[in-house]
Amino acid sequence: MAEKKQKTAKRERMKAYAPSKTLKFTKSKTNKKSKKAAKDGRKRKSGPHLPSSFLREFGLQKLIPSSSDKGEVEEEIEDLYEYEEALPEEETKKNRRFDPVENYEYELPDDFEDENVPSDDDEHELSDEDDGVADGEGDVADASEKHVRMLQSITGLPAEAFKDKKKKDVTLSGVQGDFGGGQISINDLLDPLHGKAGYSMLRKRLHQLEKTPMAVQAPLPKVERDKLERKVTYVQSKKEMTKWEPLVKRNREAPTLYLGEDIDLGMHTVGTIAAEHKPRTEFERKMAALIGDPVVMEAHSKDGARLLELNKVSIEDVRDHQNRLAKMRSLLFRHEMKAKHIKNIKSKTYHRILKKERQKRASAEIDMDPEVAKELAIKQEFKRAEERMTLKHKNSSKWAKRILKRGFKAQDDGTRTAIAEQLQQHALLTRKINSMNENSSSDETSDDDSNELSHGSDSGVSKLLNKAKDKTMKVMEEEDEMPKTGVFALPFMERSLKKQREAAHEEACLALQEYESSLGKLEGDEAGPSSPGKRSGRRVFVGAKSRPMTFSTEEPENHDDNDSEGEVEVREEENEHKVENGLSEVQIGPALVPDDAETGQEAIFKDFGDIAKKAGSNTTYEVSIFASDTWRKMGGKNPSDNIKEKSAVADNLVLSSQNSAGQDDNSDSDSDLEMVDGFLSSHPKSDDYKLPSQDELIHRAFAGDDVVMEFEKEKMDVLNEENPEPEKPVLLPGWGQWTHIQQKKGIPSIITEEHEKAKRKREEALKKRKDSHLKNVIISEKIDKKAEKLHLKNLPFPYTSKEAYEQSIRMPIGPDYNPAISIGALNRPAVIKRAGVIINPIKYEDIDPYGKSEDSKEPKHKRQKKKPNAKKTQFAARKVSKKS
Amino acid sequence: MVVRRENMETENINIGIKQENLEELDPKAKKYLRGDGANLEVLRDKRLKGQLSVKEKLYGQSAKAAAMAEKWLLPTEHGYLEAEGLEKTWRIKQETILQEVDIISSRKPFDMVLKDLGPYRFDYTLSGRYMLVGGRKGHLAMIDMITMDLIKEFQVRETVRDVVFLHNEQFFAVAQKRYPYIYNRHGTEIHCLKEHGAPLKLQFLDKQFLLVSINKFGQLHYQDVSTGEIVGNYRTGLGRTDVMETNPYNAIISLGHAGGKVTMWKPTNPKPLVTMLCHHGPITALAFHYNGHLMATAGIDRKIKLWDIRKFQVLRSYSSYAQSMDFSQKGLLALSNGSQVQIWRDPVGSHDYGRYMNHSMVKGYQIGKVCFRPYEDVLGIGHSMGISSILVPGSGEPNFDSWVANPYETKKQRREKEVHSLLDKLQPETIMLDPSKIGTVRPPRKKVRPSKKEVEAELDETVQKAKSVTFKNKTKGRSKPSKKAKKKEEVVLNAKRSFRELHQVEERPLKKQKVDEVELPKSLQRFARKKL
Repeated sequence: MAEKKQKTAKRERMKAYAPSKTLKFTKSKTNKKSKKAAKDGRKRKSGPHLPSSFLREFGLQKLIPSSSDKGEVEEEIEDLYEYEEALPEEETKKNRRFDPVENYEYELPDDFEDENVPSDDDEHELSDEDDGVADGEGDVADASEKHVRMLQSITGLPAEAFKDKKKKDVTLSGVQGDFGGGQISINDLLDPLHGKAGYSMLRKRLHQLEKTPMAVQAPLPKVERDKLERKVTYVQSKKEMTKWEPLVKRNREAPTLYLGEDIDLGMHTVGTIAAEHKPRTEFERKMAALIGDPVVMEAHSKDGARLLELNKVSIEDVRDHQNRLAKMRSLLFRHEMKAKHIKNIKSKTYHRILKKERQKRASAEIDMDPEVAKELAIKQEFKRAEERMTLKHKNSSKWAKRILKRGFKAQDDGTRTAIAEQLQQHALLTRKINSMNENSSSDETSDDDSNELSHGSDSGVSKLLNKAKDKTMKVMEEEDEMPKTGVFALPFMERSLKKQREAAHEEACLALQEYESSLGKLEGDEAGPSSPGKRSGRRVFVGAKSRPMTFSTEEPENHDDNDSEGEVEVREEENEHKVENGLSEVQIGPALVPDDAETGQEAIFKDFGDIAKKAGSNTTYEVSIFASDTWRKMGGKNPSDNIKEKSAVADNLVLSSQNSAGQDDNSDSDSDLEMVDGFLSSHPKSDDYKLPSQDELIHRAFAGDDVVMEFEKEKMDVLNEENPEPEKPVLLPGWGQWTHIQQKKGIPSIITEEHEKAKRKREEALKKRKDSHLKNVIISEKIDKKAEKLHLKNLPFPYTSKEAYEQSIRMPIGPDYNPAISIGALNRPAVIKRAGVIINPIKYEDIDPYGKSEDSKEPKHKRQKKKPNAKKTQFAARKVSKKS
Repeated sequence: MVVRRENMETENINIGIKQENLEELDPKAKKYLRGDGANLEVLRDKRLKGQLSVKEKLYGQSAKAAAMAEKWLLPTEHGYLEAEGLEKTWRIKQETILQEVDIISSRKPFDMVLKDLGPYRFDYTLSGRYMLVGGRKGHLAMIDMITMDLIKEFQVRETVRDVVFLHNEQFFAVAQKRYPYIYNRHGTEIHCLKEHGAPLKLQFLDKQFLLVSINKFGQLHYQDVSTGEIVGNYRTGLGRTDVMETNPYNAIISLGHAGGKVTMWKPTNPKPLVTMLCHHGPITALAFHYNGHLMATAGIDRKIKLWDIRKFQVLRSYSSYAQSMDFSQKGLLALSNGSQVQIWRDPVGSHDYGRYMNHSMVKGYQIGKVCFRPYEDVLGIGHSMGISSILVPGSGEPNFDSWVANPYETKKQRREKEVHSLLDKLQPETIMLDPSKIGTVRPPRKKVRPSKKEVEAELDETVQKAKSVTFKNKTKGRSKPSKKAKKKEEVVLNAKRSFRELHQVEERPLKKQKVDEVELPKSLQRFARKKL
């Protein structure tokens, strides 16, 4: 209560100084008080307000009245207010014309009453209006008392301890409430100054201030504010940037930039690094002790004679060392000799045995040592994987490809076996996968074939024959299909193909017969094994002949490669095939029948003989051509020689006037007469020499008669060649020609105009020529294409005028043309930077913006440069004269 | 009369001098600047401007340094004959000169009389150390001109028309009766160049390693002696000639023809670069100044003309006759006529050549060739009775550059130089009228005709474009597949046709058939039957 009184007293004081507004306010306050008591119950929870807990925390009383409260009060004492603040439109909610102000605060329902927790509002009211409305809160007070009692019983402290705290809170909140109200005016502050010097003046000024209405300007819109801000920032940053301008300009204009120059690694040489080394490990320490031995150091620092003494080694040591060395050497030597000996052994059996042994050992090791076995397995696996990856042994090598390309049959035994071996290796290396995948079923099949081949028994032969039969049948069936398009569709190709086919067909039929007969033979053989070898041999020969069938299927491909080849070549190919067949047969046959080989070879030889004959005829033909040619040449030479003589004479005629020492030509002509060798005739230039006509001879005789005219003519010719004269317009064939209309009208104006234009163009071109004003000079305007690479197509980038560019390259900058002093400067690159050096960002430094850029650069430059070599300058000086 | 021969005067190399002589050095420095720098004011690109200005500065420094080096390290100046009072320099005889000069120089003039093996030709190496002598009747000899030793002498028993050293004294080429041959210094035949035919004159381009010959039929052959490849083989079509000279500045070969024409050739062009009508009669001699701007021609019409070959215009014309001519390193011009030798000099530098010296051989000696010895004040004369040499003060370059040509070269240096020169060999296409144009932007072509490939590619493109056109779906059977296909085909055809029309190559008019009717020479025209 005392607090309350204090407050009112204060307000009264304010009333004394404050203008009417404050007075009204106090009035309303007092009014409100009386009103509040009545309305308390229903108005308490309306309007925005801080949650009670916050308020308690701040210690604020409910000083700011809620807006709705205020409105009501104002309504009531309307007559006292000059200005009536209307209710904000939003809150009137008229016709919902305004968007509802969203109230995010959780509002309790009106009928809700919290009973347990005593709200702070209640508490305030308790403290504020104890006298007015105490009975309403009676049970609340009881509750608090209960609470206190409970606390007391728990803690065992006197009740005052808890009550005091509450009181303290209250007083504090009261003081703070005064501040929070913001009701202190300047007058309040002035009060204590009353009676002091200058007080009246201050008060007067205050009065003045208050008389003039102080309207606070609305803040600028954000856009404007940002604009201003940007402006300021721009000015500032501009200032900041212009500071760099001279620096950047200097760098831009500098002919050479030195980047990353000032690096200091601290240590420059190996020596400095080594000097800082400290021994850490045991070994290093030992080494250091030995190296840094004071005795040795001393010996070094002196003349070094003592070093010899220190170096002394005992005789035993040396002997031991020598012995050891000798032993080692002898061991090595023996080992070497042994290796050599082993290497020299040519015996295959020995090597085989060796190999077997090695393998045995390895296998034994595998059996014995699981580690080795594992290693081997890994190795094997790796190999397999490699094989799978690279397919190294699957005829993919260049060698294998070449062999395959040339035909497997054309190879000798060695290569074939090698290829087979390779394939086998491939199979071996990839077998495991198969076995894993197909559970060795494929193994069986593959073995089947090999078995078939390897057995070589009669049954195997019969099987083979059967197979061959089947295949030939198949091929025969396939044959019938003819290529319908491409080169093979051409009639002559078709014919040749047909011929081939027929031949092949016949052969195939023959082969089939043979197969059958041989099959029958075999059966017969099985019955009675005595049969003459010779017949079978023949049979085989013919059988082998049937092989072209298989080739015939391939033949089209061959033709595809060279489609322009004619029949002759096809035949040749056939021949080749025959040869091949013969060969293959020779290779296959001999085991069966020795005679057969002979016949085959004979055939081959026949073929070869044919070829040889053909080649022979060819060569003889060529030779004959050559011979005839030479003969012709020889024959044709004599007249030409005569001509030459004549020409030489003519030349002499021409030159006799100008050549006072006539001996030359006489001797020449003499020598020319002698020149009846084979050599000169083979010279191409002398071949195309023609006998000059009488006119020409006369011309030559009177050469140089009218030089100027000739020259003019020549010039005209050259000009016409380089700038051809436009064709003269002629009468057009076609319409109007026979009716003389065109002749009457003349040539259409378009054509004549065109002609005129072309003529003018030519005139201009001629005028532009360099020799246009030089009567006696022809300067060729022909462009040398080879020399074009020495010129530029367009001007290089920064240049815009040709003159500037040409003048900028006029000075050679090489060492041959410049003294050594200036070469460095002339050829220095635009940026000098050591590799691996970090380039630091540009640093600000003060430069005189008007100073020359070089001046600032000079010291750095000089620092870097070495002293020019005296010798070099001398050289340079010598080179100087070269330029002159 | 004074014969002044300035000898080595070594100057103190002093930094102090540098300041004083800057103005004096300027003209020399200008020479090393090789023309003016670009006009930087015009340039818009600031960066380029900056770069160029820095470069120009460096060039300036370099030129200055070069000028200084020249001043300090090449102190010897060439001497000359100076007349006093009424004296005339051309009246001074060789004997009087010999009395005045030092001993070493007095050994240089000589007369070698070789009666039998007839008119002699000769050639010096680039350094002037060795002389190769070739007699018409097959006599070949190599002489060391400093020690006057005969290195090798042998007989080829064949007509020898010309001799020329290759890149050094180790090899030389001889134009013999039927072919040019290459021999080494021991007289061993290394090559026989059969493709050249019977050569009349040989030249060697040392920077390109090209041996050039003109043969009896007026065919010009260029052969690379380092690779053996025939670089060019062109027929001049202007008749037989043995007047062939090299322009030392750009290695262009010039031929003088019977029709008074001079043609200039490069190895990669089948037609002459320049054809000049220099005289009204056959040309007897040609010579090129070392700076490459000046050419002297002599014709049978008793005229000697000096030409500016940058402008192809006559500078001077003298009425005189010359059988052979040669420019010295310092620009003296030697002319031979019969048994007389004249040396002309340009005292001011305005190409106004005047008589400087006279020398007459024994009467009846026919001089075939005059040639100045490089780096010496000596003129060699090859004549019908042997070889002579005379002193011509002020003819040779006094300071030799050991990197270019060193008369006192050791074996090792020679080998080194050979390798270097092979590495620095220029390709034949670098020979052009103005070699400073290498690296510049090429002049715009008149008509860039697209190559066949390009045209085909373009056609392909258009066809593809035409093919990719999609058609609207139309109703009433108008977009049947067959119709669509037809339409597409049509479009492609149209595209092709229009393309062809656009790119129709303008066929050049066929070369006009040469008119068979022979016009008679002027002097015979009066006898021609007049047509009615």
